[in-house]
Amino acid sequence: MKAIWKIILSLAAVVLALFVVTFTVYFFNLDMKLTAAIEPFLLKHYDKIKRDSHL
Amino acid sequence: MAKQIGADRLGDFYTTGRVRKRREWRGLADTMYDYSCWLKIMLILGKFLMCPRNIKAMFRYRWMANYLAVPMMVDRHTQGLRGEYLRIAHTEFDLVVDDVAKLLSNLFRADRRIGNDVEFSKKCVLVDENEMTAVMMGFPTLKGLSRETVSTYVPVLQNQHAVLHYLDVAQDYGLAGDVCPMPAAEAGVSIDDDAPILGACAIQCNTTCDGSLLGNGVIAKRLELEDGVPCFQLAAPLRHREDDVQEYAAQEIRNAIAFIEEHTGEKWDWKYYFECARRVNVATESRLGWLEMNKTDYPQVFGSNLALYTETNYMAICGKIPEFEKADRKITALAEKAYKKKMRAAKEYRHRAIVWGVQSHYYMDFLLWLLNCWGIVPLTDMLSMVSTRRLAEEDTPENRETAIYDMAWLTENMIMRNRTHGGYKVLLDELWEFCEEFNADMVILWEHMACKALSGFHGQFEEMARERGIHLVWVTHDLFDPRVVSRQGVRDQVNNYMRTVFGEEPIDPTLEVLPDQESW
Amino acid sequence: MKDLKHLIYFEDLLQNAFNPLIAQAQSEGKICAAYSCENIPEPLLNLEGCFSVRLRAPRTGSMEMGTYYLTSFLCEYSRALLERAIEGGFNFADCIITPDGCTMMNRCIENMELLKAVGKDKEKFFFQYLEIPMKCDDNGLNLYTLQCKNHILDPLSKTFGIDVSDAALRKAVAEHNKVCRLIREIGEFRKGDKPRITGYEFHIITLATYAAPKHLILDKLEETLEELKVREPDEKDGFRARVVVVGSEIDDVDFIKLIEETGAYVCADRFCYGSLPGRNPIELNDTEDALTQICRHYMQASQCPRYMNTGKNVARREYVNALAKEYNADGIIYEQIKFCDPWAYERMVGSHVLHDDFGYPVLSVDRPYSIAGSGQMRTRVQAFVESIEIKKIQGGSANG
Repeated sequence: MKAIWKIILSLAAVVLALFVVTFTVYFFNLDMKLTAAIEPFLLKHYDKIKRDSHL
Repeated sequence: MAKQIGADRLGDFYTTGRVRKRREWRGLADTMYDYSCWLKIMLILGKFLMCPRNIKAMFRYRWMANYLAVPMMVDRHTQGLRGEYLRIAHTEFDLVVDDVAKLLSNLFRADRRIGNDVEFSKKCVLVDENEMTAVMMGFPTLKGLSRETVSTYVPVLQNQHAVLHYLDVAQDYGLAGDVCPMPAAEAGVSIDDDAPILGACAIQCNTTCDGSLLGNGVIAKRLELEDGVPCFQLAAPLRHREDDVQEYAAQEIRNAIAFIEEHTGEKWDWKYYFECARRVNVATESRLGWLEMNKTDYPQVFGSNLALYTETNYMAICGKIPEFEKADRKITALAEKAYKKKMRAAKEYRHRAIVWGVQSHYYMDFLLWLLNCWGIVPLTDMLSMVSTRRLAEEDTPENRETAIYDMAWLTENMIMRNRTHGGYKVLLDELWEFCEEFNADMVILWEHMACKALSGFHGQFEEMARERGIHLVWVTHDLFDPRVVSRQGVRDQVNNYMRTVFGEEPIDPTLEVLPDQESW
Repeated sequence: MKDLKHLIYFEDLLQNAFNPLIAQAQSEGKICAAYSCENIPEPLLNLEGCFSVRLRAPRTGSMEMGTYYLTSFLCEYSRALLERAIEGGFNFADCIITPDGCTMMNRCIENMELLKAVGKDKEKFFFQYLEIPMKCDDNGLNLYTLQCKNHILDPLSKTFGIDVSDAALRKAVAEHNKVCRLIREIGEFRKGDKPRITGYEFHIITLATYAAPKHLILDKLEETLEELKVREPDEKDGFRARVVVVGSEIDDVDFIKLIEETGAYVCADRFCYGSLPGRNPIELNDTEDALTQICRHYMQASQCPRYMNTGKNVARREYVNALAKEYNADGIIYEQIKFCDPWAYERMVGSHVLHDDFGYPVLSVDRPYSIAGSGQMRTRVQAFVESIEIKKIQGGSANG
């Protein structure tokens, strides 16, 4: 019985921790702030790709 | 930070950079709802990125970088919303996000450069971005995929700067800078070797304008003559209200179907067609119901909730995807609930507006800005005023013939071109009829400066509005290119009118001037 | 070279949209059917009892009213026409027939209708708009034929009592072909090393056949042809290169003049209001009705970029190559009137294809409707001519 409670509590803690983390990311827009930081590197990469540009 | 509509100073969320400071607190229930929708979008994106070929595509195609901004696009279109309005917006936008993710996955699976699934590619038919996909309504086993939708149309919704590179490429090759930037950017993608290569064949269309028609020629030059993907150009008549063009339009549909059958080996399936037709009718009835509500003091599905969803559902989906029927019903239920409660989406409604012309694509959330900043309710827009004809949906020999004409009618009445072509009645006269029907006191007239069909009636709009005593606010823009008129430039045209002509103060002054020049 | 006897006469005809020959033909009881695009089959407007005039706005100055109604983003041709209409310059027309060829022309004419700018005091005046094909195929031909019947022949017949029978159409084609054959023959004199006619002269003569009733200039055209047969070309004509001019409509008398003043001989004219293919005779057989054959001729011959099927797109560039070969051109000038969408694309693709795939030096320019004072254009053409010359001197092939 105790073990079951332990599992439930652990699961609840994990869910709670996940919620706190994701909600923090959500609320403070951290996902977009991260991707905004990635964008310049991607654009540099695209500039380096050799392309067969023509009409 | 409150549950009430209009409690936030929305301008405070803006930064001078790409993204906003934080997301809104909309009260516990609405914030948790918005958060759960964000999680769902994250799951869609996560699932998309789990597939290695999608990662490969991310590093191959420049336009893929814009998909980093998907959650922000949804945020921009839900700004300030609460309750049913927020739920309607998420029902629509989350579904569109899911649909676009599937479209991307399918494109990359078949793309010779990425997944190169040859057998799958043989079951793909390329269609235009701005094309009524009615000719795909009888091919359940085929995928109608649009490269332009994912490379130019959706990216600009996410990132105002998305296609500037492609515009520059097209102009480097000598294309005049005054043509519509939409087909110009699509041509730029093709020239820059940045379009996926796939498909058993392609159905191009003369879509909206001379630019679109000609831009397709640039794309076909590479797609058909070099990549070996046979192209069929579906010519939809321009004078679509005339009886004597309907047989031509119908024959184009027959020819397009025959072309697809020839190149894919698939046969037209009437049962599937009529299923799709029934769903188109559901979408039409839903839209008509929303528009009826918008004629009252308590409009419910309006602004970008109406515009973007109609554009997707009417043209790209065209009854083929059952999830959109479910969404239609859900939106209607939410709207009716809010209507019964006499709900309003902003704290103050000051003006009832018809939004006419071609919207600035890099600033689609402008409609929400109108509402939040000035209390202007965008009751409906030109792109949402499309065909309301009921399609034949029972499979009988007579209806099969009618169905050809129905598809032709839909194709002729694609979004935008059903108003920008077909004579002055559809663009001028019907606007004033809508003003009366919707009891609108003003018209927000998007003047997409490179759209010759619209600009060609500039003087007529002016004079006719004056005769009728309707406030006409010109909002000039260049569709895909914020370098020509910035988002603030767009806003300033309204700000100036509201202050100088109406002598009004904004409802939310923090929105009047925003530092979003660098923003996605 | 000795001046052509009738050149000044033709030049005078082009000074005004409402030239004296239009008035003369109307005084004979003929109906003036004005039109605005090469996609309107001309013989249908030249049936017994009527004659065609293609709308122009020569000596255009200010276009402020046209710009107010159409904005500065529409091409100057459409703005100039609307301006002229508002000024009352097209009141001679008894009807205006226009296709939805390009959006700008459609808007120009629709504005004329909404503003009631044309047809004042003319009880029977009408506007007609045609849907015309965008592809060269059977479906397109059926559409073209039906539209010409419904929007040209029926209105002319019902309103003005014009005979639109098959026999009448065949007669009109025969008359049309007389003019075409004369222009073709005159145009042949551009091919030789020492051409007997300048590109400018040829442009003026061709333009007159669009802007004036054909039957009233036939004698002058015949005389000009005879004159050319014996005309002595100059030993040194001052031209340093031969070019084909390709692109959107040119009804400005000064554009070809400007090119030739910089030393480039315009040996072929592939533009709207030009002779290639606009003055190709229409060959009719006796087994099929004339209307269908006329429409087929226009559909197949048309070089308008609004034809969107790949076959037509490719054929447009091949046609320019064929002309350049036939007329022994050293280079090609692709031009478009500014703000023209169809030609903006066609100019981009055509100039690349003709250069990259066919090896011609190509100059790609946009231009205003009225060009006389454009020093910029003069400089660009001069530089182009010099570049061709340098290549010739260096012994390289004309590969750009």
